[in-house]
Amino acid sequence: MASRIQATVRQLSKSYKKKTKFDIGIATELPAAYKKFWHEWKVLKPAAVHFVPQEGKWKRDEITGETLPIQNIPIPLKYPAEFHEGIWGGEAVIKGFQKRDNRRRRVPHYWVPVLKRTVVRSEVLNTNLSVTVTDRTIRLINDHYGFDHYLLKTPACDLKSMLALKLKKQILTELMNGCHRHAHDPQKQKEIYEEYKTYLSSYTPEEIEWYGLSWYEALHKVAAQKEAANKPVPLKNIYRKNLVEKLKAAGIEEHKTATDELSTTTSWLSKMNPFGKKDEA
Amino acid sequence: MLSSTNLYKSFNIVQNVLLQQTRNTFVLKRRYPPPLHKKNGKLPKMKARHFIYDLVQDTNVVKQPHISVILKTFVQGVGKEGDVLTLSHNVAYKDYIVPGLAVYHRPENAEKYQQKDQNTLEEAEFSSPYAQRTMGCLSRLVLQITMNKLEPWILEKWHVRVSFRKAGFVVPEEAIEMPSIVIKGPDLSLQEKEFYVTVTINKTEKVNVRCRIHHWATGLDRLEWSEFHWKKPLEALIPEQAEVLEKMPLPT
Repeated sequence: MASRIQATVRQLSKSYKKKTKFDIGIATELPAAYKKFWHEWKVLKPAAVHFVPQEGKWKRDEITGETLPIQNIPIPLKYPAEFHEGIWGGEAVIKGFQKRDNRRRRVPHYWVPVLKRTVVRSEVLNTNLSVTVTDRTIRLINDHYGFDHYLLKTPACDLKSMLALKLKKQILTELMNGCHRHAHDPQKQKEIYEEYKTYLSSYTPEEIEWYGLSWYEALHKVAAQKEAANKPVPLKNIYRKNLVEKLKAAGIEEHKTATDELSTTTSWLSKMNPFGKKDEA
Repeated sequence: MLSSTNLYKSFNIVQNVLLQQTRNTFVLKRRYPPPLHKKNGKLPKMKARHFIYDLVQDTNVVKQPHISVILKTFVQGVGKEGDVLTLSHNVAYKDYIVPGLAVYHRPENAEKYQQKDQNTLEEAEFSSPYAQRTMGCLSRLVLQITMNKLEPWILEKWHVRVSFRKAGFVVPEEAIEMPSIVIKGPDLSLQEKEFYVTVTINKTEKVNVRCRIHHWATGLDRLEWSEFHWKKPLEALIPEQAEVLEKMPLPT
């Protein structure tokens, strides 16, 4: 008996899959394009900024000579609300402890990046933006030879902040539409399109549409699409249509004039007296 | 034992660093590494001691490599179009890239701006990148020429040269063009008059410099100090120069 239960449990555990965010409610209807973005944003591991990862797979213990695997457990980061209003270049707040003396109790400490406000120039959008950044962001922008290149080349897991992702989406949309903001200068428009068009190859138009949406924005979008698709048709229109069809089936010649009259009278009435009495209509 | 003392020492250094405000990316290290876990398995149960961090690196102390940019236009006191500048990250970004004065030094940009440079080399507006700045400095100057109140003198080029040197400009005598009339002294009416001399920079650019004569003496003969005398508008000594002097701005 016990062995049979064990066997069924084993079998079930193989086929059982834990429900994820995407398996509940309206989220089941999210398109693959959004799932791809979500994976890029939340599942992929961001680059190590606040710690130095150990290289290689194995290491040898110096004293015992034991071979041990190398497991880099990233330092957990905190993302305050302000994080999403700036572009911090992978930096974030670290909450932890300091042990300032071996004989003393550890003390809590927050390591907060130094933020400053600066101007970033987006070539594709043809605007200057005032943004909160860190020194690291400026260095990254310089290393990528420009703000647009930095945003377009960096995956969502490293950008992380909502502002950066929204800007990236806007830049991609603008590129897809052929840089309309430079329409006054066709030569520059062409130059900029040529420079940045390589980035378009990694996205389909649908993916760009679903890029940079937060979880709730994506759900709202799905709901709105669903609602627009299943827009209810007033029953009176359906009944009228049916009636006209029935009349037509009964005898076209006889009721042709009648149907015309009907349509004219109803339209005139609906215009002049929408809340008229029933016997009038 | 040795390693622990070393650690303690380094820790003290870290502590000293932490007392100041640090403008950097914090690179931290766990003091007590967490235990190993199964491959692709659950993370180990973390205890409070696994969140004790030590500062490994202070990116503020590490010297950042400079980057190079190419100028798009002539920039006063810096260089002309196509010049390659090597600057620190922040300066390059803030002062050159964002205002649109320069572009990043990439192969495409180098090609684009270097070619233009060769064509416009002869059409450079100023004799040197610093000429415009010098012109600005000289045009704003009110040159006080100190002459003797008691001994007779005739104003000569070397008087002006010495006055320039006292004001911080080394001007050779051949670059100075004196006014058409001969100025003789001591004459206290000159105290309330002004004129200009013309200085030629690099034998090309010409600037007018406003000059005023001050009669110098010691003891009881010394003239009374007037406050902000360099801001006061004065009458032109030579009537032909009056128009030009009026147009030259006085320091405010």
